[in-house]
Amino acid sequence: MEYDDGEEPSFSDPEDFVDDSDQELLGDVLRDKPQEADGIDSVVVVDNVPQVGPERLEKLKNVIQKIFSKFGKITNDFYPIADGKTKGPVLLAKEKKNVVIVWEAPEKQPFKDFGNLRHWLEDPDCRDQYSVIYDSGERTGIFANDVKEPIEVEERARWTETYVRWSPKGTYLATFHQRGIALWGGEKFKQIQRFSHQGVQLIDFSPCERYVVTFSPLMDTKDDPQAIIIWDVLTGQKKRGFHCESSAHWPIFKWSPDGKFFARMTQDTLSIYETPSMGLLDKKSLRINGIKDFSWSPGDNIIAFWVPEDKDIPARVTLMQLPSRNEIRVRNLFNVVDCKLHWQKNGDYLCVKVDRTPKGTQGVVTNFEIFRMREKQVPVDVVEMKESIIAFAWEPNGSKFAVLHGESPRINVSFYHVKNNGKIDLIKMFDKQQANSIFWSPQGQFLVLAGLRSMNGALAFVDTSDCTMMNIAEHYMASDVEWDPTGRYVVTSVSWWSHKVDNAFWLWTFQGRLLQKTNKERFCQLLWRPRPPSLLTQEQIKLIKKDLKKYSKIFEQKDRLSQSKASKELVDKRRSMMEDYRKYRERTFDMYNEQKPLRLELRGGVDTDELDSNVDDWEEETIEFFINEEIIPIGDL
Amino acid sequence: MRPILLQGHERSITQIKYNREGDLLFSVAKDPVANAWYSVNGERLGTYNGHTGAVWCVDADWDTKNVLTGSADNSCRLWDCETGKQLALLETSSAVRTCGFDFSGNIIMFSTDKQMGYQCFLNYFDLRDPQQIEDNQPYLSVPCNESKITSAVWGPLGEFVIAGHENGEINQYSAKSGEILKAAKEHTKQINDIQTSVDLTMLISASKDCTAKMFDSTNLEHIKTFKTERPVNSAAISFSHVVMGGGQEAMEVTTTSTRIGKFEARFFHAAYEEEFGRVKGHFGPINCVAFHPDGKSYSSGGEDGYVRIHYFDPQYFDFELEA
Repeated sequence: MEYDDGEEPSFSDPEDFVDDSDQELLGDVLRDKPQEADGIDSVVVVDNVPQVGPERLEKLKNVIQKIFSKFGKITNDFYPIADGKTKGPVLLAKEKKNVVIVWEAPEKQPFKDFGNLRHWLEDPDCRDQYSVIYDSGERTGIFANDVKEPIEVEERARWTETYVRWSPKGTYLATFHQRGIALWGGEKFKQIQRFSHQGVQLIDFSPCERYVVTFSPLMDTKDDPQAIIIWDVLTGQKKRGFHCESSAHWPIFKWSPDGKFFARMTQDTLSIYETPSMGLLDKKSLRINGIKDFSWSPGDNIIAFWVPEDKDIPARVTLMQLPSRNEIRVRNLFNVVDCKLHWQKNGDYLCVKVDRTPKGTQGVVTNFEIFRMREKQVPVDVVEMKESIIAFAWEPNGSKFAVLHGESPRINVSFYHVKNNGKIDLIKMFDKQQANSIFWSPQGQFLVLAGLRSMNGALAFVDTSDCTMMNIAEHYMASDVEWDPTGRYVVTSVSWWSHKVDNAFWLWTFQGRLLQKTNKERFCQLLWRPRPPSLLTQEQIKLIKKDLKKYSKIFEQKDRLSQSKASKELVDKRRSMMEDYRKYRERTFDMYNEQKPLRLELRGGVDTDELDSNVDDWEEETIEFFINEEIIPIGDL
Repeated sequence: MRPILLQGHERSITQIKYNREGDLLFSVAKDPVANAWYSVNGERLGTYNGHTGAVWCVDADWDTKNVLTGSADNSCRLWDCETGKQLALLETSSAVRTCGFDFSGNIIMFSTDKQMGYQCFLNYFDLRDPQQIEDNQPYLSVPCNESKITSAVWGPLGEFVIAGHENGEINQYSAKSGEILKAAKEHTKQINDIQTSVDLTMLISASKDCTAKMFDSTNLEHIKTFKTERPVNSAAISFSHVVMGGGQEAMEVTTTSTRIGKFEARFFHAAYEEEFGRVKGHFGPINCVAFHPDGKSYSSGGEDGYVRIHYFDPQYFDFELEA
């Protein structure tokens, strides 16, 4: 098979794990390949060669020669022998400038049972899990979120060398190592898969968790792109490697929500690939001159991208349907300085934040162009903002968005509602906010405004159904805010990576009531384990909401029992601690009494065991206390 | 009741100590003057002038006749408590970090820092032998090769000194032979302070590892641990309560919370190891805390140079954690 620029073959590189558990990557083999010598222009490596003993070797050689001389003159060959039989790939040197690696088919691997990968979802108390890295990265723990206090599920030293990531549906925990990535899961967090990518720095998952993408700056060579590798999670196979100029905007490859496509942008080009073939859609990239940014709708196979002004042609935002590549909407924009794309979580709306310098002015103003994706022909409404924008965030599952605008110290937050009647209403604005970030609950309606890092951890908990501030609080020097996947809890934390003292994470309810403070020595990072989408239909969810009162009673009773149990546990614990302490004091008291003669002797017979043991020695002393000072003028003299 | 504010120092407070009866409170700081105050109303009794550098430690004998101080001016000085007169000057090769009178008041100990090529030493002088003072010859000088002593108190009967080290170890050093009688390796970082209970049977150690620990003085059995999220600079124990003060010294800190009043003394129930209260007020880390021997008040000395005396409200004594 040949590999020319411009033509993308869809080959699957077979996997192989030779001899021991070390999964050597193709890259390692490439490094070991024989150097090109004078007169020999290339090497062909042939796989699936039947293992033959010495008596049939000659015949094998003839067959191979016959087949491969079709591709070019064979100048040399090498048949590796082990244990008297041919083993491993056969190397042929021939006169053509190509290299192909084909590998021996492996033996069938025994089925590895990792148990129930969704085990954590079956917790009877519906506790969500979260990962915690602390001890400046030396220790990683998995905890179950219990209202009383975190329950440690698993904890390992040096589990990861840098940080961890959960897969999008929470099935896997990915850890980073010098040699690559490891995936862990199941009840006991066994190692499920390993991907060998020396010096890996970044990782991304496809939304369906079928594929994982890794980046390492070390591995790239001109002939064999290895900077970015896409892997099949279940088989562990390397599916395809890519070059990477800069990892500054990770992920480089963006996935369609159904995992059928992934795309990346390079100079004037948008390349869209299909899975599982890993080949370019329609075998070619799209040329889009000047393309500055793109992103997938999180709900549909639609890509939004924008290009800046080009001479007389205005800047524009385009919505393109895949795989048809139909442009379902184009929006022209004038005097554009910059654009940012913000999709609502379900893909119901797209907000394009447009920074413009209107003609005749020098300042920059911002508009929000709101695309209503679910309506015919995708109408666009514009919201003009008078101040500079600090943060923007859509309500997940909803049709509201929140904006932080203004400049410190006058920062304001505005809440907008995108209504069905074509209007976008400003519901409410609060001024004088200490905030630089917006964190919506994943279920919508509630959000936290946070002033992270330099704003010292100011927090405001808002209910956007009526835009009220439920609570104003503070977690001094907080560096991160993380909602749990159910939207019931919020964690604020002070990471050792950003602040060297007071490293801890605090648990709050969605209403802003502080529940727990957990200090962890050199705490670095907390990540909630995501949940897979609910299996219930919308109708089923509606039914449950209707009967919520009935369910509430049962849960409340359970909570009360659990709380009184906790109180009882605490009371019992205290009782036993007091008892131990009392016993200890009794023991020391006995010894103390025995030593009294010694004490008397050391102090010349003076008994100082009690403060009032020597009343006769006391002197009476009168002490003045300063009560008050009053200046009384004696009238005019 | 409002705290009594003692303003007698220019620089941050290094140690405060009550005398045995509690009517006097001694304070020393990074300036060269040691102060004695009436604890009942905060009026100053007097000052002890003579040191020429920061004063790290202070102690009074059981009879409140003599006062002992140790300083960065490489000296340990003995004073007459009432008159303020300097009675003895013991010069050393490096800064004196800890000092104290034994139970009888006859033997003094002090430790010197490891600096400028000099070892850390634990020195013992018998005050009944004037020759030792005159010749500046301790009857026993114990070198500490490994980790320097950062805090020390006498044992209950003057048989040994209990010293806390930079590496978190606590050792009993015999006052007769200097050998280590018992050792405890419970803390993981420097011991910042050690104090004894009024009856000397228990001691509490404050450590940079963010905990304070209670030990039995005689056998160094580890009894309780009190956890916080900040390094503990000082801890004191009174009956069933423990008070702790902390934060970091200003020097060690680049960006830390210096908001007003954020620095609190924290109160723990000794048996339950649970925190039950906090008192704010200092404008910087609290370097030293001390309970009045009767347990009805406590004092704290801060990085801000102030000493605050707090008398407890009646509720403090009625407070009982549910058990």
